[in-house]
Amino acid sequence: MAEFIQLLFNGLVEGSIFGIAALGISLVYSVLRLVNFAAGDFLTLSAFTTYFFSVDLHMPLVIAVLISVVIGVVISLFLEFLIWRRLRKSGAGMLALFLVATGVAFVLRQSIALTFGSNSRKFNIDQIKTFEFLGAQIAQAQLVVLCCASIAITSIAIFIKKSVIGKNMRAYSDSPSLAAVSGINVQRVIIATWCISGAFGALAGVFQGTVQGQFTSGMGLDLLLSILAAVVLGTIGDAYGALIGGFVLGIVMELSTWSAFFGGIPSTYKPVVAFSVLVIVLLFKPEGIFGVKARRI
Amino acid sequence: MTQPLIKITNLEGGYGDIKILNGVNIEVPEKSIVTIVGPNGAGKSTIMKAIYGIARVTAGSATIMREGKEINILATKPYNLSKIGIGYVPQIENIFVAMTIDENLDVGYIPETGKSLEELKESMYVRYPDLVSRKKDRAGQLSGGQRQMLALARALMSAPDVLLLDEPSAGLAPALVDQLFDELVRINNSGVTILMVEQNARRALEISTYGYVLDMGKNRHEGAGADLAVDPAIVGIYFGKRNQG
Repeated sequence: MAEFIQLLFNGLVEGSIFGIAALGISLVYSVLRLVNFAAGDFLTLSAFTTYFFSVDLHMPLVIAVLISVVIGVVISLFLEFLIWRRLRKSGAGMLALFLVATGVAFVLRQSIALTFGSNSRKFNIDQIKTFEFLGAQIAQAQLVVLCCASIAITSIAIFIKKSVIGKNMRAYSDSPSLAAVSGINVQRVIIATWCISGAFGALAGVFQGTVQGQFTSGMGLDLLLSILAAVVLGTIGDAYGALIGGFVLGIVMELSTWSAFFGGIPSTYKPVVAFSVLVIVLLFKPEGIFGVKARRI
Repeated sequence: MTQPLIKITNLEGGYGDIKILNGVNIEVPEKSIVTIVGPNGAGKSTIMKAIYGIARVTAGSATIMREGKEINILATKPYNLSKIGIGYVPQIENIFVAMTIDENLDVGYIPETGKSLEELKESMYVRYPDLVSRKKDRAGQLSGGQRQMLALARALMSAPDVLLLDEPSAGLAPALVDQLFDELVRINNSGVTILMVEQNARRALEISTYGYVLDMGKNRHEGAGADLAVDPAIVGIYFGKRNQG
């Protein structure tokens, strides 16, 4: 039982990170029809910049995280103006966007490796401190991540549901042609989308770096498959679905290692679970768990 | 005729290299209903799409009178057209199907109306009581007639004094077509100028102050709506038997 609680909690923590990262990808897809394969490396980038500001420059961790979020947003917007906007104007198709996103991912990853080197890093936080809950060991860092992630998830869900920009984003994703003729400033919607995606990618990166303990420049890429599985599971383009998909996938991946479950699989094979989920969903329910074939956020 | 509210002069344009409009002239007096009719491919809808920057304009102008001054519509960004009092109901995709009825109205609202969102929404629900019980339903679940009412309500949420309608009766059952035209007259009576493009030419012209017949992207005939509606030459050539009922 204690093992189950432990895995469930780990799954919740990991799931909240998947959810946050998946939300950014799903939102960008729903608004821009772009599967952002570079999203994984945005996670890595923010983990490294947070490390740089907090450990190298001795800034308080919270400030370092905030700066990293700003950097994530700025780079997302920079790429929008430098690349994505031009590609849209030239009428680039899905394949062209996919190839360019993959290219951006490579450039980003290698730039991080060049700048920060290939050594693994570790935030200056207490990794040892744990609480006991129903026999499970819950690390303080995990608890903080889960709380922060929950706040971020709740705020963004309310923002998309209630705010003017959120409604305009959903309207644009529903029908770009109608949105463009009903008084919605489309450019503003696109910029808001990149801001959210950049900020949430950065948060997910810091959270993952915290939970993982150590991280290298390959961290984001390793996670990308799981994040994409969460996106597809929650119906691609559905922001709420992405959050739920993230949680479901996180918990499923953790519980797959449960010893009561056919002895459990070795934890190094967890990405295989994510990949299997991706394949199963695509084979049997390609429209995702919500089963609504129409696109929505 | 006094200075028209909207004036389209020698408009030329189309899509990419394909030229559809070859010099169209339309004048829309204030508080009137003006209908543009004509055979398929005459370029009726392209006029609206040119105004909204969807079709390319190569020559000509389109202006609207605002406080004694002419404002260039073609130089106004599409999302700012609602701010200068123009509302638009496209022919297809004219509601946000994945959003609720209430949210569709929210999205249509702009603060420049000087009225609060709640106030305007309330007036829409009074106007279209069928929508009240379905506020929280997705717009995609509405029937054809209700969809068209929502499309009108969404456009009216920016409190326009000019409404551009692209084939508002397309796809509606005959009984609903009558209802729709009655509604357009009611909107017009509340002080909103209407410029519409219609396939259902006779019915539309009957309620119109003035009508234009377009062919090959050019003006062919024009006249008072009621006259055009019964003009045998025009009825025979352009409307076809199908629309004479």
